[in-house]
Amino acid sequence: MSSKVLIRGPSPGPRRPSGMDMRTIWKFFSSVKLAIALLILLALASVIGTLIPQGEPPAAYAARYGQLAGLLTGLRLTGLYRSGWYLILLFFFAVNTIVCTLARFPAKWCRAFRPEVETETAGLLALKFKGRFGKNGPVEEVRTKFETVLKAHRYRVRSQAGQKRLCLLARKKMFGLFGSDAVHLGLLVIIAGGVVSGLTGFRTHIDLSEGQTVKVPRSSFEIRLDRFETEYYPQGMVKAWKSTVTVLENGASVLTKPILVNKPLTHKGFSFYQTGYGSDWDNPKLEVTVKKKSDPSFARTVQLNVGERVAVDAKDVSQISVKRFVPDFVIGEGRRVETRSQEPNNPAAEVEGWKSAEKVFSGWIFANYPDLEQMHSGKPTDLSFVLKSYRGSEYSVLEVACDPGVWLIWVGCLLVTAGFFLAFYWPPREIRAVLEEGRDRTEVTAGGIASKSRESFQADFEDIMNSVRRS
Amino acid sequence: MVESTLFTIVFVLYILAVLFYLAAAFSRNDKWAKPGLGLAFAGLVLHSAALLVRTFESGHAPFTNMYESLSFLSWAMVLAFVLIDRKFRIPRIGAYLMLIVVGLVALASSPLMPKEATPLVPALQSYWLWLHVSVTLLGEAFFAVAFITSILYLTADSEEKKEKMDSVSYRCVAVGFPLFTLGGLVFGMVWAYKAWGTYWSWDPKEVWSLITWLVFALYLHTRIVMGWKGKRSAIIAIVGFLAALFTYFGVNYLLSGLHSYA
Repeated sequence: MSSKVLIRGPSPGPRRPSGMDMRTIWKFFSSVKLAIALLILLALASVIGTLIPQGEPPAAYAARYGQLAGLLTGLRLTGLYRSGWYLILLFFFAVNTIVCTLARFPAKWCRAFRPEVETETAGLLALKFKGRFGKNGPVEEVRTKFETVLKAHRYRVRSQAGQKRLCLLARKKMFGLFGSDAVHLGLLVIIAGGVVSGLTGFRTHIDLSEGQTVKVPRSSFEIRLDRFETEYYPQGMVKAWKSTVTVLENGASVLTKPILVNKPLTHKGFSFYQTGYGSDWDNPKLEVTVKKKSDPSFARTVQLNVGERVAVDAKDVSQISVKRFVPDFVIGEGRRVETRSQEPNNPAAEVEGWKSAEKVFSGWIFANYPDLEQMHSGKPTDLSFVLKSYRGSEYSVLEVACDPGVWLIWVGCLLVTAGFFLAFYWPPREIRAVLEEGRDRTEVTAGGIASKSRESFQADFEDIMNSVRRS
Repeated sequence: MVESTLFTIVFVLYILAVLFYLAAAFSRNDKWAKPGLGLAFAGLVLHSAALLVRTFESGHAPFTNMYESLSFLSWAMVLAFVLIDRKFRIPRIGAYLMLIVVGLVALASSPLMPKEATPLVPALQSYWLWLHVSVTLLGEAFFAVAFITSILYLTADSEEKKEKMDSVSYRCVAVGFPLFTLGGLVFGMVWAYKAWGTYWSWDPKEVWSLITWLVFALYLHTRIVMGWKGKRSAIIAIVGFLAALFTYFGVNYLLSGLHSYA
């Protein structure tokens, strides 16, 4: 070891036993103040994450924040929810939850399952809910009456006999004690699920054209898109995107099912979600209407693909074809025709007219500007063209996800929900009583313990006392 | 047509309820509170009818755009209030809560909110729409009552009133928090998993519901474990409601994300 270690090391003296350190750590994490600080810090950090756009390219931050961008990126505020310091806060939150829950658990367990039946009257009289009265009859008789009343109120009763006195312990809804523990455990299971999802989960997009088969990444099977349909409402809005998909294993089809938004397909732990669609303009289906200037009543619509020649009934040409189609026509550098985007903003087709092998004319026609058409040719042609319709072959965008952590999330959610129910709507109640043998009657001292819904317990308690007194 | 007529009548009934409750609160005479509750209840019944008509006419859940969800939220607030008022009979809560309800209904009726029922986009075609939105908004309605009672706590002049407001406020959180957790977070995660393939995407609306959840978790821990009551509790409940309000309203208009529909 080098001397550096010694210089930096703690001052010489007896080393504290490591057990002491564990106790310090335990004490630190069992503090509710830490829980409160963490709740506040997590909330504030989360707020920041919604004010600064997350996960954008550095140039976007530079444009938006200028010189501050470097600081924001350095502090990981631009990918906050995956940053080390946010994860450390969550880790502290998890450890704090575990320690706080464990620290309080044994006492609750004893209270629920190993209760002390023996009670002192002085202790009962110090309670908020209490009653004291005398009742004619021996202790045993009063006890039977008391127990009957308690059981009618759905209490479970234990008793312990002492010298000339008898202690009763009646309780119900004791599981309510564990509501907060169930919520805490549920949260931990959810955090664990998040960790498992983050470490082992996997998701990606796949683009599929009709008839195309792809191997699903990281799996042993393939999927094929049989059909992709877009359904519309009468008003023209999209009603549904529907991909009919076949799962293939070793080349054999295993199942065929439609995938819709909100209706994923799951196979061997992989789920497929309909997340979008795109149009492929390489091989569109086109419809062109052919008109004659000499005969205004003549109009014939032909369907054709790019590169395909179709016969037309005309004097100067025998066939027409479409040489090229662009979805978003623009004249680029060198006066060349290009497409600005893959969106059909300005669809245009280059039409050619043929007389056997000789090209007679050619020119661009525009779906949005039918009057712009102008054919370049040696001699003027009698024909004119309208680009009536165009349809790119649509492909489906599917999200593939495999998330081995997700079942933990649902277990955690169930625990949290059940825990909330127990904590808020299953309030534990406890009634203790001491029956003492008096001179000619039995002295009854009773007290009630309830930490939640005290108003309803008060009514319950008074009702029980009155019933015993009158019975 | 039927729905908008009903909605107008509901609006008038709620305004009348506010007037009676204000009269009860300021004259310190509870005789005005009874007709107030009656009017609020009548409004609630007709409002339910309006929501049902909307559901049958549009063929989907009555909370798929801002107009519909405002209408549903105000309905849920009146429902929460009627339940609370039956138990505690505090006219002052009615005066201020019904005032907010009238504000929401007025906002829903304003030309700012497009009212025509549009067919459901593919992402919203799920029965989880019913569960997720209705339970969340019901939880938020109880947060609204907790908000009002917390403000009334801070402005109350006697210890007795303060204690009552504190207790009602806690009761509302005790109802609203489980509902919000179940509807907003649990059902939200289940639906997100079904629709998008991931139960959590750190979308601003998700994060803001988490923030709301953290604030109310803070409320419960400070109150139950540390014994905070009264003023500090009231302030946390107010912050919690404002966070819920921002989750519901602000995120849509100020931040962009996956929850772009409503």
